[in-house]
Amino acid sequence: MSGEVILNVENLNKAFGGLQATDNVSYEMMTGELSAIIGPNGAGKSTFFNLITGYHAVDSGKVFFKDRDITNWPPHKITRLGIARAFQVSNIYPRLTTYENVRQATLAQQRRTLNFFTPANRLAKKETMQLLEITGLSQQANMISGNLSQGDKKRLELAIALGSKPELVFLDEPTAGMSGEETHETMELVKRLNREIGLTILFTEHDMSVVFGYARRLTVLHQGAVIAEGTPEEVRDNEEAQRVYLGEEA
Amino acid sequence: MEILTKRYWWLGLVFIGALVLPLVVGEFWVHVAIEILILGLFAVSFNMIFGNMGQLSFGHAAYYGVGAYATGLLMVRASVPLPICLAASMVAAGICALILGYFCVRLTGIYFAILTLAFGQLLYYIIFQWYSFTRGDDGLQGIIPPGALFSATYYYYFTLFIVTGALIAMWYVNESPFGYTMRAIRENADRTRFIGINVRRYMLINFVVAGMFAGLAGGLWGPFNRSIAPDLCNWHQSGIPVFMTVIGGPLGFFGPMIGSIIYTFLMAFVTGFTEYWPLTIGLVIMFVVLFLPGGVLGLVEQKMKVFRSRDLETRGDRSAETGSS
Repeated sequence: MSGEVILNVENLNKAFGGLQATDNVSYEMMTGELSAIIGPNGAGKSTFFNLITGYHAVDSGKVFFKDRDITNWPPHKITRLGIARAFQVSNIYPRLTTYENVRQATLAQQRRTLNFFTPANRLAKKETMQLLEITGLSQQANMISGNLSQGDKKRLELAIALGSKPELVFLDEPTAGMSGEETHETMELVKRLNREIGLTILFTEHDMSVVFGYARRLTVLHQGAVIAEGTPEEVRDNEEAQRVYLGEEA
Repeated sequence: MEILTKRYWWLGLVFIGALVLPLVVGEFWVHVAIEILILGLFAVSFNMIFGNMGQLSFGHAAYYGVGAYATGLLMVRASVPLPICLAASMVAAGICALILGYFCVRLTGIYFAILTLAFGQLLYYIIFQWYSFTRGDDGLQGIIPPGALFSATYYYYFTLFIVTGALIAMWYVNESPFGYTMRAIRENADRTRFIGINVRRYMLINFVVAGMFAGLAGGLWGPFNRSIAPDLCNWHQSGIPVFMTVIGGPLGFFGPMIGSIIYTFLMAFVTGFTEYWPLTIGLVIMFVVLFLPGGVLGLVEQKMKVFRSRDLETRGDRSAETGSS
């Protein structure tokens, strides 16, 4: 499996009014990668995810998933093909329980959402519990998800994304709002998902220690354009990357 | 399952009560009870769109009216047996909901409400103007239920049987993966797209199912009332399930049915001695909106929750406090 191109983005452009949010970005990912996109606020990280996953229509450029042109496909089709995402601002079902949140993703993945006659609480039990367990949410299963802590909401985000059984997953700041301990746990989980089940993962992150500790390849975005790319060491040594971003941190 | 039987034991009592009702009350109240059942079914079908999908349909009477006319026309013009008429009502209302819903589900919020209202009025004017087919403003008279159903008591049992069956079916839909998918769309349509669900298509399917049950309710109305008129499609009629749902509470399955009991009973009672029915219902709605935002059922559930969490606290079992429904 490893070594095949899973995602190929060619010359992607998107402008909002006069703002070039994505500026001629080309990007390639191999199966099994664990990579990160970094860049200052407003660099176009979320827009990049939104363009690939069909949330925004692209102005120009192409997106290929496993050699299939998915440019401007609607989100639900892209998800079914095997791309899932967890959002930066937790995007859950706040009045449903944690369990129901994850079950919904699982039911959709199992193509059971057009079932009108079997009570939902008899379906997808095992898969849902499993997802709650690996994301550490078993204790909170019956809580109304809107009442979860910020960190738990982000973990639920991840659980919902995994419920789609994706091959490629985008995590938009997966540890935002988490304590140091929680951040470590979550990133260890991300690493395990990548190593053990071969999930290809692309994440964005503000915390540089997280980025350098976990990503094997980094891409630096600035004002919508890619300005540096490479291993963490290469990016650390890249002058332009230092100037726009890392300089602030170092 | 155990929880289900524990939680809904009272439904059995209600059903037994409904069965013995005609034996203990006079014919007038049997008529009221039939009305409660038919309008309650109409309101529960409305709530599939309002409560579950989170969109306000202000033209739900369109499907009720189409259902009423399907049964009415088939009975009067072709003497088709009632059960077949009712099935035809569901199909006709479903087809209308499919065509009109196709446009409505493209919008949400106030735009959805306005478009459903506009389509409802459109159907009203078609029925009103198409004299040769619908007899327009004259309405259809002489929709006489067959055989034994002529008596109010038997028509009541017939309606009770059909409405109970429809409620059970809708209950299953409500608890099914499809029902939960509608709730997911209500809570967060965007997220639902990103778990692989074609939100518009699901909204349309839900719109059609809700329209079919409204059509069934409309079909039951004609033989009960012996006549129908274009007013059944009018926006006044669309307001009835909205009122009932607000009174009963939109977030529980039985809310609109409870609303129907209160609304219809009150109307029968109040119009007995005053013509100021609209004023009365206006005051009731005002009271509910101001003091019972979750409707009557919302109040009951709130009280139950306090009671339950107290019960759990004493056992020190906090984790199950919000126990799954």
